[in-house]
Amino acid sequence: MVLFALISLSIQNLMGAAIVFGAYSFMMCLIWAGMGAVDVAFTEAAVGAGVSTVFIVSTIYNTSATMRSRPGGMAFKFFIGVVVTLAGAFLLSALTDFPDWGDPNSPVNATVVPYYIENSIDDTHVPNLVTSVLADYRGFDTLLETTVVFIACIAIYSILRIETAKSKTDETEEGITSPPSYDPSDSLIVRQASRFMIPFMQLFALYVIAHGHYSPGGGFQGGVILGASLILLAISFDLKFLLRHWREKSLMLLVASGVFLYAAVGLACVFMGGNYLEYGILDSILPGDQAMARSHGILLVEIGVGITVMFSMVAIHINLASNGRFDRGL
Amino acid sequence: MVDSTAGSDTMENLIANFNYVIVVILMMIGLWAMLAQKNLIKKCIGMAIFQTGIILFFISIGAKNEAKVPILSKFVVENSSAIIVNDYANPLTQILMLTAIVVGVATLGVGLALAQKVYQQHSTFHEDEILENQRK
Amino acid sequence: MEILAYTLISTGLIFFLGTTIGLLRFPDFYSRMHAAGKGDTLSTVVILLGCICIVSTQGDMSWLLGLKILLIINFIFIGSPTATHAMMDAGNKAGAEPWRKDSK
Repeated sequence: MVLFALISLSIQNLMGAAIVFGAYSFMMCLIWAGMGAVDVAFTEAAVGAGVSTVFIVSTIYNTSATMRSRPGGMAFKFFIGVVVTLAGAFLLSALTDFPDWGDPNSPVNATVVPYYIENSIDDTHVPNLVTSVLADYRGFDTLLETTVVFIACIAIYSILRIETAKSKTDETEEGITSPPSYDPSDSLIVRQASRFMIPFMQLFALYVIAHGHYSPGGGFQGGVILGASLILLAISFDLKFLLRHWREKSLMLLVASGVFLYAAVGLACVFMGGNYLEYGILDSILPGDQAMARSHGILLVEIGVGITVMFSMVAIHINLASNGRFDRGL
Repeated sequence: MVDSTAGSDTMENLIANFNYVIVVILMMIGLWAMLAQKNLIKKCIGMAIFQTGIILFFISIGAKNEAKVPILSKFVVENSSAIIVNDYANPLTQILMLTAIVVGVATLGVGLALAQKVYQQHSTFHEDEILENQRK
Repeated sequence: MEILAYTLISTGLIFFLGTTIGLLRFPDFYSRMHAAGKGDTLSTVVILLGCICIVSTQGDMSWLLGLKILLIINFIFIGSPTATHAMMDAGNKAGAEPWRKDSK
């Protein structure tokens, strides 16, 4: 994969660099799955190999796709190469102190983790250890991570979004956006195939969110797949088609509502008399005993995360693809 | 840092801990891309490569020899005393990395949006030309 | 059952090898896409059929897992040729010319 990284950085054509980056992401995903980290591999496959590549391509779409190579500057690159090699050697000088590969007694594996592995099923009735620790034991992290995605969506909105009235007075408009050389909405096969695939993608994504307790999956992965299904709708049909069905205001409201759901579940725990995000207190309103209440709380929280991530991905794609103007796009 | 009498010992250590070497190489490639490449999009790609290197580091220190995926099977769920800790790969590092991947894609999105805005102003992605345009 | 699985997976790998050779050796954009699209889809489907054979020999409720793999095969069977078609269409609109026997 080092080879992939190097190739991705050295290709002149930016579109090719984006595709090789997608291949590099996919290779990393396979390596992590081989190491036993299937949740992480799932997320990387959905996010890195899928959505990241689409973001880079839709950024390049509005701009020129080739890199004009400047002569000279090799000395600077070589100098940076030397500096970076020295930094790498400095990092590697601690190599002898690192634990060996696969050592079960290393400090990472032997201090806090055995509690989670042994007790998580009794406390939360969730067999997937990753989901239970992510959404229950370390729920604050996930809440703030969802907030980070929300903030990124708002940031991209505020950087790129231009109202259409102002863009009419922009005289360099034609110089910036090149007309698309390929309009996929002309092609019947692409449209029909995507019409067939999108409902199944969404069904699978809902299954991933709901089944996150028992198999690799959970809120993020399902949310990204849902977002990717809507992005597919935008790519295969026209961007305006997507915008006619999902208006801008409703998109932003739904992004905010996911974070709100997560925070509201935490507040409901406070109202019932426990700490913030202590789902066990909710067992009087949710069916089952305390452990099942924690399982249900995890499900609610994952749904909130999924909603936010889904609409955030769609909003980021729309903003990147149309240069903020929401009129034409990928 | 490297002792000449312990040269072969270091080599052995290097091969035994080769996953850390790969991680450091990936991180340095990403860092080099962020500093030395002139094109803004290549810098963003370098940032993403750096992030995946870090994630590889965390996952590789959590991997155990012949470990299973950290999802308990049905048999183990029924009698929870049968959980052997060393059978499962470390879930804690995977959780931290799940967060890291999602935050990484959010940061990539913001970086690409900024690059696009810069392109709107200067109509180039190349760093030297942008600096020249600004000095005029 | 396992022998069938191994045969299928190795057949899939042979098809993949043919695809890669075709990708490198064909003279023209369209014929390369042709090789990539067909060979890629077919070899993936055959390898996944081998995986179904392996999965059906272990575990209970394995028919559910086999069904899920069958759904994946369905998805790839529809999605991959469509993507190939989209790329060829884009190449056509962008002006790539087909290779003729008399031109270089």
